[in-house]
Amino acid sequence: MIHFTDATGLLGCALAIVVIASRALGALRVPPVHLRWGLAAIFIGVLVPLGGLPLAGYVRGATGDLSVASLVLLAAALLGSLRGWPAPSGRSQLLLLIVIAAAGFYPLALGWGDYDPYRLGYGSPWFLAYLLGLALLSAMKGFPVIAFTIALSVLAWSAGWCESTNLWDYLLDPLVSAYAAAAIITQGIRKIRAARAIKP
Amino acid sequence: MHAQAHAATLVELKDGRIRAFWFSGSKEGAPDVEIHSAVFDPAQGAWGAEQKITDRERTQHALQRYVAKLGNPVAGRAADGSLWLYYVTVSLGGWAGSSITATRSTDEGETWAAPRRIVASPFLNISTLVRNAPIQYDDGTLGFPVYHEFISKFGELLRLDLQGAILDKQRLTPGGTGALQPVLLPLNKNEATILMRYSGPPPHRALRVTTADAGRHWTVPEKTALPNPDSALSAIVLPDGRMLAALNDIEEGRDELSLMVSADRGQTWKTVYQLEDQRGRPLDQTAYMGRAARLLAMSDAKVAKAPASEQKEFQESLRQQACAPQGCRYEFSYPFLLQTRRGDFHLVYTWNRTFIKHVQFTREWLDRQMERAK
Repeated sequence: MIHFTDATGLLGCALAIVVIASRALGALRVPPVHLRWGLAAIFIGVLVPLGGLPLAGYVRGATGDLSVASLVLLAAALLGSLRGWPAPSGRSQLLLLIVIAAAGFYPLALGWGDYDPYRLGYGSPWFLAYLLGLALLSAMKGFPVIAFTIALSVLAWSAGWCESTNLWDYLLDPLVSAYAAAAIITQGIRKIRAARAIKP
Repeated sequence: MHAQAHAATLVELKDGRIRAFWFSGSKEGAPDVEIHSAVFDPAQGAWGAEQKITDRERTQHALQRYVAKLGNPVAGRAADGSLWLYYVTVSLGGWAGSSITATRSTDEGETWAAPRRIVASPFLNISTLVRNAPIQYDDGTLGFPVYHEFISKFGELLRLDLQGAILDKQRLTPGGTGALQPVLLPLNKNEATILMRYSGPPPHRALRVTTADAGRHWTVPEKTALPNPDSALSAIVLPDGRMLAALNDIEEGRDELSLMVSADRGQTWKTVYQLEDQRGRPLDQTAYMGRAARLLAMSDAKVAKAPASEQKEFQESLRQQACAPQGCRYEFSYPFLLQTRRGDFHLVYTWNRTFIKHVQFTREWLDRQMERAK
């Protein structure tokens, strides 16, 4: 019997593979009906054990379990590909928040200095209060996806969704941080180019 | 196969026997490395049969993720009496990509539950490694000294619950101090010392941090008087408060191994017994093999009187593990000390990466050695 957190970890990796496949198939202009069936087949295929371990397990070995922030962005991307849903309101702000948090968090957590912010993730009431405040502020400012991601992360952490007992692992992971940084830089370049194109 | 054996660790069983764990394979970091175990019966003075505890495939299947290799094992006793075995697994890259995997036994190590991964690092859970044993706190949780290697090296202290989940984590040294493989030495309810292997620039001395408030705060790391050639050390607290350490008492190489004692909580140390000493220039292969054969002949009966085919395999393994084009070097490394409830001592260490050597001594013998060293 597969462990619950292994199932959730493998499903997360399978979702990531499916989203990457949806982008690739979308670029090839595969018709929507075929796209849905194709992605469903890929989703099942990467979870079928081959030689004792599914393909998603090999990916999981390299990526670890994906954070809730990753899963939210992946789910939004998949719904965009399959259903044509628009990007959720506040997505750009969520990406920016991820970049800022990661830039502050990872250097300290990986040994820069003697303060380890990762320790806060083991149930610090101050950290939880800070996240509650941030979620409320985001909702009030019109960025519901930030509030939703934080709330879902805390809920998943309370329920033991992932292997980790640390809340940070539900909020952030290095892959979503790298993706967010790349997306913010790309958006910035596009804006600069657009501004230059408007100039007479 | 030129089997390598390395990184042995010990735990006392409820009936007074000693169980050892180590890793074994064609070479360190190879995919064929397995975690092995054997039990020593002090009443018989003999080791039982070697058994395989786990391997890469079994761990990979249980963890539902790719595992490239296994590394250091270490055992600990939980407050409920169960035995835990923690070992290093790597999915990607070298040892800096390690994470901890844990498995539990309720029958003193005869059978083990499916292993689970301990998530101790936010960056893909890489770079948390184990070497020295955890200790039980008064509240039943475990204090587990571990270390981090990715980007910068530092020691950490995990607090684990009965299910093996992390409740808290403390950084023992700032990143970049080159601190590895912490050994936790509790002196009383409030005071403890942690000694650490040092992998930074010279002078090569073991590092030390202390606490006087039950681990809420730790002092800034300082270099001790203990030489440390970037190699593992093991230490225990004797009933009278003195510390006993087993280590390479040199700043370069691993061709010497000593027992040392400190009466001032790790500030100064005195050699009480030299276990091995093969210091000198690298030997040519013929001289090394000749000397190794003589040492093997003086060894445990199982080794000394092994069939000729096995002897040949030992010799070939020794040549593979210790000889390089510039010569052959002896290696006595990764000591692990255990004091039993009866007061006897057991020490295991890697002997030229081919054997795990076991040394047993009594409190009386140690007292005599300490007297002589005065």
